[in-house]
Amino acid sequence: MSIRVRVADPLRLPLELDLFEGPLDLLLTLVLREEIDLAELPLRDLVEVTLDGEESWDPPTTGELVLLLCSLAELKARRLVGEDDDDDLAPDPDAELVRERLAAQLIAFAPFQRAGVWLRTQDGIDGAVRYRRVPLQAADRTFGRHEPSELGDALARLMVAPQTPSLRHMNRRRVNIGEIVAELRGALRRAGQVSFEEMTTGADRLAHGMTLIACLELARRGEAHLEQPVPFGDIIVQRTQAGNSG
Amino acid sequence: MTETQLLRAVEALVFLSPEPLSLVRLCELTEAAPGPVQRALAELAARHDASSGVELAEIAGGWVLRTQADLGAVCDRLRARPPEERLSPAALETLAVIAYLEPISRPEVARVRGVSAEATVASLLERGMIEEAGRASDGVAMRYRTTPAFQERFGLKGPHDLPSIAQFELSGAEAEAVRQRLRDAGHLPDEVV
Repeated sequence: MSIRVRVADPLRLPLELDLFEGPLDLLLTLVLREEIDLAELPLRDLVEVTLDGEESWDPPTTGELVLLLCSLAELKARRLVGEDDDDDLAPDPDAELVRERLAAQLIAFAPFQRAGVWLRTQDGIDGAVRYRRVPLQAADRTFGRHEPSELGDALARLMVAPQTPSLRHMNRRRVNIGEIVAELRGALRRAGQVSFEEMTTGADRLAHGMTLIACLELARRGEAHLEQPVPFGDIIVQRTQAGNSG
Repeated sequence: MTETQLLRAVEALVFLSPEPLSLVRLCELTEAAPGPVQRALAELAARHDASSGVELAEIAGGWVLRTQADLGAVCDRLRARPPEERLSPAALETLAVIAYLEPISRPEVARVRGVSAEATVASLLERGMIEEAGRASDGVAMRYRTTPAFQERFGLKGPHDLPSIAQFELSGAEAEAVRQRLRDAGHLPDEVV
């Protein structure tokens, strides 16, 4: 059988037998009335739909749900085993407790059901009164007096072709370390020694860094000797004997 | 500001405002005391009687001018009425639980109703009938309350303009009738006499 079946409400309660949204109490009622054959009720599906749903039940509600499901399982077991057992004639105190709770819950919820019916009578969906629906922002908007020429000027500004966006900031500057090394070698060949500061006067930070790397490269190759008398001061680059032979 | 000027100002404000204007807000806008503003509202209500096309209504915590009910059809020729869906019995019951017990969390609603309230609460949220009202200091569940749109739709003057829940409670005889129906259906044991 399908669990999701709409059944007439025996207690005139507008409930649906949708087990994830629907009432377990009504299911219990229908089972007890034998309108649903408990032997055909897939209890495993029922438990999965009820407890594995997205609803986060709080502990008291979860306890009541588990109690209801356990009662169903017990009733189904009794039915499957057979009702001729003399022990079944004795009322089950737990099942009676569940039924008492069911009755108490139905009675406690009745005022809200009646309030829902009252709300239906007050629902303005069938009424004919109409309200203003203009957003306040629109109501606050005021329009001053303008000359037609102002509109023409505004349109003229819109018709001017916009300037082509500059992409200069997207161009990456490329520095060739080989060229700087060659330039440094030439300077050493001509003067014998050069000042780092003089070489980098007016240069940007990238040129500063690359020139320093060029100096270190010449020093590594033994073509130049670096000397910095004062910390953070100027660096004197002197040509070495190896540099003279090169 | 003379009484006539105040009356005209109040009329202009409630006409212009798309949402109900509370007495406090009207006092702020007109820079008048509550007494004269209330008298102006009373005069305005009398002026817009059944012979007028609009009426002054106290709704959702404020005052608003709305069209008379018998003019709904002609008004709809001017403006297509936004489609509104009816609320199901389950939604109305859930709305009643929230309206009477607000602020209330979804698990608490589910406990009162005895069934899951997730889809119903989500639907009411989507329709603007309820809104989030923060979390309880000792809990993590979001609580909900009804909105001015709910009060407007159901013609309530404010969030507490509801009949006493006591008048909806089952009388002793009615509660006994429920229990008797359960007994007749075999759900409750017969009382021992």
